[in-house]
Amino acid sequence: MKNVQKTLSRLWSGYSFIVIFAVIFIFYWFASSGLTWGGTTNILRHSAVIGLIALGEGLVIITGEIDLSVGSMMAFVAGFSVVVFNATQSTVLTLLFALICGGLCGLLNGVLVGVAKMPSFIVTLATMLIYRSLAQYFCQQMDTALTGGGNSLFKMSREIGGYDLLYGFGNGKLLTVPNVGWVLLVFTVGCVYLATSTKFGKKLYAIGSNEKAARLAGIHVPLNRTVVFALCGVMVGLGSFLWICMNGSADPATSGSSYEMYAIAAVVLGGISMSGGKGRTVGILFGAMSYTIIDKIIVALKMDSLINDTIKGVILIVAILVQTAGPEIKAKVQGLRKAKA
Amino acid sequence: MPHLLEMNQIYKAFGGVPVLNGVDFTVEKGEIHALLGENGAGKSTLMNPLTGVHPLDRGSITFDGAALEHITIPKSEAAGIAFVHQELNLINDLRVYENLFLNRELTGPLGRLKKREMSQIARDLFSELGVSIDPNALVSSLKTSEKQLLEICKALHRKARLIILDEPTTSLSNEEIDRLFSILRDLKEKGTSFIFISHKMPEIFAVADRYTVLRNGTMVQSGDIRDITPAEVTKLMVGGSFFGANAYQERPLGEPVLELRNFSGRGFQNIDLTVRKGEILGLTGLQGSGSSELLQGVFGAVPVTGGTLRINGKPVKSGSIHKAMKARAAMLPADRKENSVVPDMTLLENMYLSEHTLSASKLPIRKKAELARYEKQKELLDIKAASPELLITSLSGGNQQKVFLARWLNTDAELLLLDNPTQGIDVGAKAEIYQLILQLAQAGKTILVNTLEIPELQQVADRCAVFYEGEIVKILPHEDIDEHTVMLYSTNAISQEEAV
Repeated sequence: MKNVQKTLSRLWSGYSFIVIFAVIFIFYWFASSGLTWGGTTNILRHSAVIGLIALGEGLVIITGEIDLSVGSMMAFVAGFSVVVFNATQSTVLTLLFALICGGLCGLLNGVLVGVAKMPSFIVTLATMLIYRSLAQYFCQQMDTALTGGGNSLFKMSREIGGYDLLYGFGNGKLLTVPNVGWVLLVFTVGCVYLATSTKFGKKLYAIGSNEKAARLAGIHVPLNRTVVFALCGVMVGLGSFLWICMNGSADPATSGSSYEMYAIAAVVLGGISMSGGKGRTVGILFGAMSYTIIDKIIVALKMDSLINDTIKGVILIVAILVQTAGPEIKAKVQGLRKAKA
Repeated sequence: MPHLLEMNQIYKAFGGVPVLNGVDFTVEKGEIHALLGENGAGKSTLMNPLTGVHPLDRGSITFDGAALEHITIPKSEAAGIAFVHQELNLINDLRVYENLFLNRELTGPLGRLKKREMSQIARDLFSELGVSIDPNALVSSLKTSEKQLLEICKALHRKARLIILDEPTTSLSNEEIDRLFSILRDLKEKGTSFIFISHKMPEIFAVADRYTVLRNGTMVQSGDIRDITPAEVTKLMVGGSFFGANAYQERPLGEPVLELRNFSGRGFQNIDLTVRKGEILGLTGLQGSGSSELLQGVFGAVPVTGGTLRINGKPVKSGSIHKAMKARAAMLPADRKENSVVPDMTLLENMYLSEHTLSASKLPIRKKAELARYEKQKELLDIKAASPELLITSLSGGNQQKVFLARWLNTDAELLLLDNPTQGIDVGAKAEIYQLILQLAQAGKTILVNTLEIPELQQVADRCAVFYEGEIVKILPHEDIDEHTVMLYSTNAISQEEAV
């Protein structure tokens, strides 16, 4: 019995995200009165975009910084990827553009934070405003042939041969699991490998844990900071690409809106410390999926979707409260027991 | 007359390690009492319960006839005890009088601050004490000595009857010290008591009335300062058992490894120095005298303004840690917790952080090879740890320091710059660290050790460079290194001509 308790408490301290996920998943199971395999794998589909963005955000947070621009960046990159697709009619160029454009957007954040040493909160707050505004501005100003006919929506032209390929990829399945879900899984594995088994990953943790010591150990802090923001941008670029594949369009006003908050929430729910240096990247996958399930629970219970964010917010507070206050309460209880004995 | 402060049979342990073993300590009303002891002897641990920072394990404290129990910071303040810390607790962005009245501001209706009154009270207090500080100046614009005086004024303003001064003179000039002392004597006459924590014998003998010496957590001796000499105090502090036998051995020296010509940067100027392969050079000087800054300059951690730096005959571009590392230099920085420990990482990860930056082009970590090398280092340095996967913070200070030494040995560094390597580690581990330094020099490493602990340098250093205000004033050969000589040079008490 004691052993079980010990295992459980260790599981909680290192892998609380799995416990949270399991609780939410079981709740979903009951709420939806029986769950199909398709319904389960569908969670992965709806977690794909936010999951990829959260992975990038997670790397940034591990270094002790934050990126608030990811949601707007997605609207910007997705919008212009649609334009590139409409202009070049090439699927390969569209993918390349999404990754590079995301990388450059991230690089701008990275240079301002890492090299110019500005606070990341302010820098990315500014670029958050900039990226979305640019997306909206150009959507209105651009030739309708490029935006796919509208001036409030970037729409991929269905006449182009590549459309079916991209849309098919975005909505198809491989071995009964959505393609975009596979992409998320593959990149999660990649991120876990990067964070746990490469020298670059260790440097990120070291910078987040004690920047001064990291510098004196020879780590080039400005360079690594810049790179991690650029990397986050590439992940956003990939997320944007999946988004247009799944939807065939991008709305500069609403696509990716609040995604920076969901991404940060998924990272925190995944057990990564906001002050940096601590946490497992695999948790981000579970954090992102937990939030997707909450959406689905609300649909299953036929609740008003406007209550959605309230529930997400409450769950975040409860989860963090348990994580931070839990050990303290435990120590106090143990102290009381000792005093009695 | 009852004692002002009486501490009886004080016991305190941290994590099972006893730091104080039944210490008795008394202070009379209106005296300056010197509390002496080496680093780690338990001086601050003895003072902390007084100010409510850490509770006692066992023992009793009476202050002014009343027992003090369950002391908290406000309680100790109310009783009239103030602690002036070495790192001054002033708020730089507030004005002088605002600091003086912090958290006890005078207010009018609706909480309006009575700024003029507060400023006037501050001015009166300063003139009474003979301190010339503008009450409306920003604290950030004050000199360190003025800040020190402000701290004391703050304590007095709070009606403190016992003021603990922790090494108050480290950053003061001789004149400023004289002024501080005359103010202390004045206040003493008026009935305020002081506990004066310091290492500097001349100062203690200039200002203190009585003394208490601590060694390894026990009270060794207490008495009237007139009945003892500096040499005797030093002997009491160090004890007979510091190293046992003298471990120093002369070694053959090789080619020059480190050559500095006219090397200057913030905090040090015009340094000319040649250190040869296998040599151990001690650096010492008062805090802020430039010895630590020089090591950081060589390592590229702080900008360098002039001069040349050669390692193994090749010029090294200064200002880049990475370039210094490529030239096979390594620095173990001072203040281990702040500058070395990566608290969220295991000791294996901590040990390989630096090596990883040199081999960064090979991205994957070869864990098996690292574990194999870990076992070797563990044996070589005698690191006491159950597993390489433990968090670094679970190790004792001495063992942590060995891990960081291993961090740099893993980079195959030839030139080791050790800044205060025995700071905050217990006496046994200190001896071990110095034993290691000797071993490494024997194996052909070139080592610079910056420390204030002269007895330690005596055990290892071939030569000792003494710093004063950013310059090397004297390089002493091994035979001439002793606390007295070093202190004379580091306080610039004698000029070089006189010494010859």
